[in-house]
Amino acid sequence: MNHTEAKPDTRVCVPPVRDDVVYLDYQSSKPVDPRVVEAMAPYYTQNFGNASALHGVGDEATEALDEARARVARFFGANPEEIVFTSGATESNNLGIIGYALRNKRKGDHVIISEAEHISVLNVGKYLEKNGFRVTRVPLDMYGRVSPKKLAARITDDTILVSIGWASNEIGTVQPIAAIAELLAGRDIALHTDAVAAEGLLPIDVREVPVDLMTLSSNDVYGPRGVGALYVRKGVGVAPVMVGGGQERGLRSGTEDVASIAGFATATDIMASEMLAEVERVRAMRDRLVERVLAEIPDVHLNGHPTERLPNNAHFRFEAVEGEAMVLSLRDYGIAASTGSACSSKTLEPSHTLISCGLLHEEAHGSLEFTFGRFNREDDVDRVIAVLPDVIERLRAMSPLYRPKK
Amino acid sequence: MKSTSYSEKTLEHFRNPRNVGTLEGDNVALGRVGNPVCGDLMEMYIRVENDRIEDVKFQTFGCGSAVATSSMTTELVKGMTLDEALEVSRGDVAAALDGLPPIKMHCSNLAADALHAAVDNWRAGVKPEDVETTDAPAECPATVPQMAPGEIAGLADFADAGAHTEVDDLTQFAGLRVLVIDRGDRTAQLAMDLLDHAARVVFMTSGKDLSSLSQAMKMALKISDVKVLYEAEPLAVLGEGEVERVRVHDLNEDEEYELAIDAIVVLG
Repeated sequence: MNHTEAKPDTRVCVPPVRDDVVYLDYQSSKPVDPRVVEAMAPYYTQNFGNASALHGVGDEATEALDEARARVARFFGANPEEIVFTSGATESNNLGIIGYALRNKRKGDHVIISEAEHISVLNVGKYLEKNGFRVTRVPLDMYGRVSPKKLAARITDDTILVSIGWASNEIGTVQPIAAIAELLAGRDIALHTDAVAAEGLLPIDVREVPVDLMTLSSNDVYGPRGVGALYVRKGVGVAPVMVGGGQERGLRSGTEDVASIAGFATATDIMASEMLAEVERVRAMRDRLVERVLAEIPDVHLNGHPTERLPNNAHFRFEAVEGEAMVLSLRDYGIAASTGSACSSKTLEPSHTLISCGLLHEEAHGSLEFTFGRFNREDDVDRVIAVLPDVIERLRAMSPLYRPKK
Repeated sequence: MKSTSYSEKTLEHFRNPRNVGTLEGDNVALGRVGNPVCGDLMEMYIRVENDRIEDVKFQTFGCGSAVATSSMTTELVKGMTLDEALEVSRGDVAAALDGLPPIKMHCSNLAADALHAAVDNWRAGVKPEDVETTDAPAECPATVPQMAPGEIAGLADFADAGAHTEVDDLTQFAGLRVLVIDRGDRTAQLAMDLLDHAARVVFMTSGKDLSSLSQAMKMALKISDVKVLYEAEPLAVLGEGEVERVRVHDLNEDEEYELAIDAIVVLG
């Protein structure tokens, strides 16, 4: 079988996927790299076998699956048998946290998460509480960081699992995950991390930072959506949360989506060879946007940590302006951004992370997030800077709350 | 339905809102509803001649729907008699915009309420500059008696762990989120001095304005980077071994919520 290794691309940046919009919402969804799409195609029409089947077509699928598993594992410094493919980050968080808690219930009933977690971890926490576990949430400092000291103060004899995201998908704050791993070393407490927001932006190697369970997503490295993985360190016991034919070492039943998994593997290969240059390029654009916005618009603040943040994340707070109104206005200029304002959420609650950073509700409502990625260009920053000051000025002119300070 | 799935008419009013601004003069009344805490605050000004709305203007802090409903309301009611204006409902405004997403029907459709408040204030003879105080719910007077330090639950438990009833060394607040409770000018001065050390300073006052402070201090505080939290009082200090949160009573909404902090200063 001719496996589709990523073709090395000598261009610094492949051409933008679309020209009609300045897309600055990479944290919510990324385009699939065209090279990944190309690599996936044969698995739909030619190598379409079921990896569990005994005939040759099935064997080819098994081979493709094994090979993809090895490539994904390599990107994260893991062994192939430590990678369990899932349908994405939400499923991986469910399997990692609920699966571990169920399997290790006899050791204790206490789980610790943080207030910075993605909703799929927060809601898994609530689910565990309804099912007899106790869940403690570690507070954040004003930059959104979890302090190992505050985490340590919450560990009890019954604590079996700690789940702290590698970085915030929202405000971009990077957690001291190595220090947390060190804190837990030698205790019989597993460390799960949702690494999705940090994938492809920070080096992640489970040999360097010894987490026990790690949630990974394919789309976050420009692979297809609907596929992800859970890293399960050798010797760590997890019960399945989905049962069936016993695929993925019994941890995740269901016929493997070989095409998507192969796409995920190709995406990690591309990322491995391009990440260094890509991160620097993205960081430079982000830095320029932050610098210009802070310089050109009054009464604006940067949310999250000034330095310990994802290199693609710019998360602002504009006084006296509401987030949805900003996003709608930018949309009219062909700019796609996002907000943590309540008015844009289904629950009408503002971002829990911003509230945990100590912001008042009215402040959290004024947030605007830009996240850069592989297909942004330098002039995207210029296009934002060309319109954002006017958007803010227009909305402030309407706002009864705005009182300029300087 | 996504919050952004607005009708074309709603989007058009959001893009080009009519009658933005304020009105002044003897025959002007103001209605104010909402709360910035909820992400919406709306002000509707009406100029009344012969029992008719001759002119109307609005200001709003709110989402796309808040802007569009305000704009549409001003269009609908200009020229109406006051009685007719009181008949204009939230539903009428939403219908005139070709509908609103269901989730926005209540939270961001306050314009009709603001209009009704303006008419009521006109009839009651309330001048715009007095609306702030007359609009307050009866159960929360503009100035609430100050609580003694002992009345904030848990304050004493954190005496060496982030709760301060006296302050001499400001450097201990380096990098922290500090909440200073209003006890007059010296606490406002302390809040401003803390800006040089703390990462964030919130000044909590129970009144709608800073009437507890001298005029000079009030002005200085307002233009400083201290975040003033109005109409709020601390109920309890919470945390695991150290101050981590304060339970806040929102006097305007009569609701409770928690604010993440690292230190609280309640001078005796």
